[in-house]
Amino acid sequence: MSEEEIIWEVKRDSINKLVQSGKRIDGRAFDEQRPITITNNFIENAEGSTLVKIGNTAVLAGIKMDVMEPFPDTPEEGVLMTNAELVPMADPTYYAGPPTEDSIEFARVVDRGVRESKMIDVSKLCISPGEKVWAVMIDMHVLDYDGNLFDAGSLAAVNALWNARIPRYEEDKIVRGEWEDYLPLNDKPISNTFVKIAGKNLLDPLIDEERVMDARITMAVTEKDALCAAQKSGTGFYTKQDLDEMLDLSIAKSKQTRKLIKRE
Amino acid sequence: MGSNKKVDLIIDGKRTDGRSPEELRPIKIEVGVLHRADGSCLLDWGDNKVLAGVYGPRECFPKHEQDPLKARLRYRYNMAPFSVSDRKRPGPDRRSVEISKVSREALEKVLFLEYFPRTSIDIFVEVLQAGAGTRCAALTAASVALADAGIPMKSLVVACAAGKVNDTIVLDLNQMEDNYGQADLPLGIVMTTGEIALMQMDGNFSREEFNQAYELAMKGAREIYEKQKQALKQKYAAGELNE
Amino acid sequence: MAEEQEERNENEERVIVVPGEKVPSTVRGNAYRRNNETYSEVYGLMTKRGEFAKIVPLTGPYIPVEGDYVVGIVTDVKFGGCVVDINSPYTAFLPTKREYNYKDVVFAKVDKVDEVKNVVLFDEKKLFQGEVIDVSPVKVPRIIGKKNSMINLVKELTGCLIFVGRNGRIWIKGENYAKAAQAIRKIESEAHTSGLTERVTELLKH
Repeated sequence: MSEEEIIWEVKRDSINKLVQSGKRIDGRAFDEQRPITITNNFIENAEGSTLVKIGNTAVLAGIKMDVMEPFPDTPEEGVLMTNAELVPMADPTYYAGPPTEDSIEFARVVDRGVRESKMIDVSKLCISPGEKVWAVMIDMHVLDYDGNLFDAGSLAAVNALWNARIPRYEEDKIVRGEWEDYLPLNDKPISNTFVKIAGKNLLDPLIDEERVMDARITMAVTEKDALCAAQKSGTGFYTKQDLDEMLDLSIAKSKQTRKLIKRE
Repeated sequence: MGSNKKVDLIIDGKRTDGRSPEELRPIKIEVGVLHRADGSCLLDWGDNKVLAGVYGPRECFPKHEQDPLKARLRYRYNMAPFSVSDRKRPGPDRRSVEISKVSREALEKVLFLEYFPRTSIDIFVEVLQAGAGTRCAALTAASVALADAGIPMKSLVVACAAGKVNDTIVLDLNQMEDNYGQADLPLGIVMTTGEIALMQMDGNFSREEFNQAYELAMKGAREIYEKQKQALKQKYAAGELNE
Repeated sequence: MAEEQEERNENEERVIVVPGEKVPSTVRGNAYRRNNETYSEVYGLMTKRGEFAKIVPLTGPYIPVEGDYVVGIVTDVKFGGCVVDINSPYTAFLPTKREYNYKDVVFAKVDKVDEVKNVVLFDEKKLFQGEVIDVSPVKVPRIIGKKNSMINLVKELTGCLIFVGRNGRIWIKGENYAKAAQAIRKIESEAHTSGLTERVTELLKH
């Protein structure tokens, strides 16, 4: 075990004890979220951008759009791509290099939440069938890591999409710096992440809670209270009872968090 | 620099963004904005938005890079995909690698690296929004982040550029001027001594023009230095109870 | 090591200094000399009383010094001793014949530090159970207080056993450890202010 891992092991014992007595390190209830702040249009030159802070975790999502050939099996639909960078300053364990399995999982889970909720009406992003469609590129830049990238990233991405506008397209060229309408959107999927520690499910984990967790689940819920994406990570196990409890809580919490999504 | 297109960048003594030739773009500096990093700085400069984060001194990995006499200094300049008009693919490109190198070299002898043998001091600068002069904004922010991390150094460092546009020497080029101007000279200065730690140049300067550009960049650097000091001092003075 | 003043003296001036700022020539630590002038090396708090001035950094790592007492965590057990993490860029070695395990917490003295900062500990005491928190090492003098006044206040009002390491690592044992940890974090974030004793007492009495 590395030195770092030993230090986390020391914390594991004390966090486990705390959870067993119904407490968390920062005094929150098991189903309580940390304070959330949202700054829309943080980056002026992007098609859309939002900075989200959940407690000390900060994720900046930027939306860029470009024109490209559609996928052969969906010739009249726009394209969605999601990428994430865990930049080294965000955490001492992040290092510069090719994407790690954590950053890839993060990007793909947020992508799934956006894509499966069908929040973007991709049929309206076609310029010329079979030839030219709009590509919407979500880039999440993690700036400060204190647990729960999934919810911070998802909230940033969804808000950024709601505030994004399509660039002006004239004579087969994108006019950078000028924008037309907002993206055609019709949902606000919300992601909820729980970690399992000492048999209990804790909403919105801190970094220390994530480091000592048995397992983690993220659930994305649409405006119609439907589950549109889910992901279990970690080597621990869940019971059906766990899942029911978390899904009910996700649906309830999403209603509150969804109010934070605004077009400014 | 220097596209062959002829563009009027100065009309009636006013530049494309309304500034006079000796004027800096607006700058805002915030210290200690990140929780994980040992030191950090968010710097807005014209259209630029850069975030610098510092870790260190910390144990140096990989072990074979440890220097028994001093700390290993590393500097990584990186542009976020959404920072520029046409999305930039993630990852270092040749330009970023070059900027990282000259920036690191600028700081190497300013920091008291010999106080921390076998460790590493890691500086990361992310360009969140680019608007010409990102390398100067990055180095200026990095200097503040290093102070915020408690790294001992001889002086704060400021980087500022001057250039030539429509045959006029101007301070702090904006995007248009960077694209269509005639010369660009970014300088990194050790403010306590006035020594030049970073210099790059492209375009065309006569001997005399070079002198003028140097003087103008130094003047700009002195103004920015005051803002750096102010930002650091205000973090503790204004509102004794922080966070 | 900084001696912390609880109350401001009439003649004392406190000012924030930045690296490279000119300071009085009476400053010794955290400053360098060039051409007969003295300059601060760090982002720090300078206290001036008449001619005399001293700089204390506002932030920074723990660099081991011989004679310091530190709280460490055993991260590797070797023949002849163990490797101890002391919340520093430098790891320490504790030569000992006693048996230790991974994750054991020890309170020890720094015996030797060589030119490349290899660190050797001795005179250790194993700390059983309890919780460990890490604070910024430069705040430790304030947490201890003048003649241990601040840390004794926390111990009395919480009934906890507390060992404060100069390395910013603090071991706390007792039912009220969460309250004690909260008080310590408060002192850490408000270290540069005055009237802190009153506010900490307030916090602990409720």
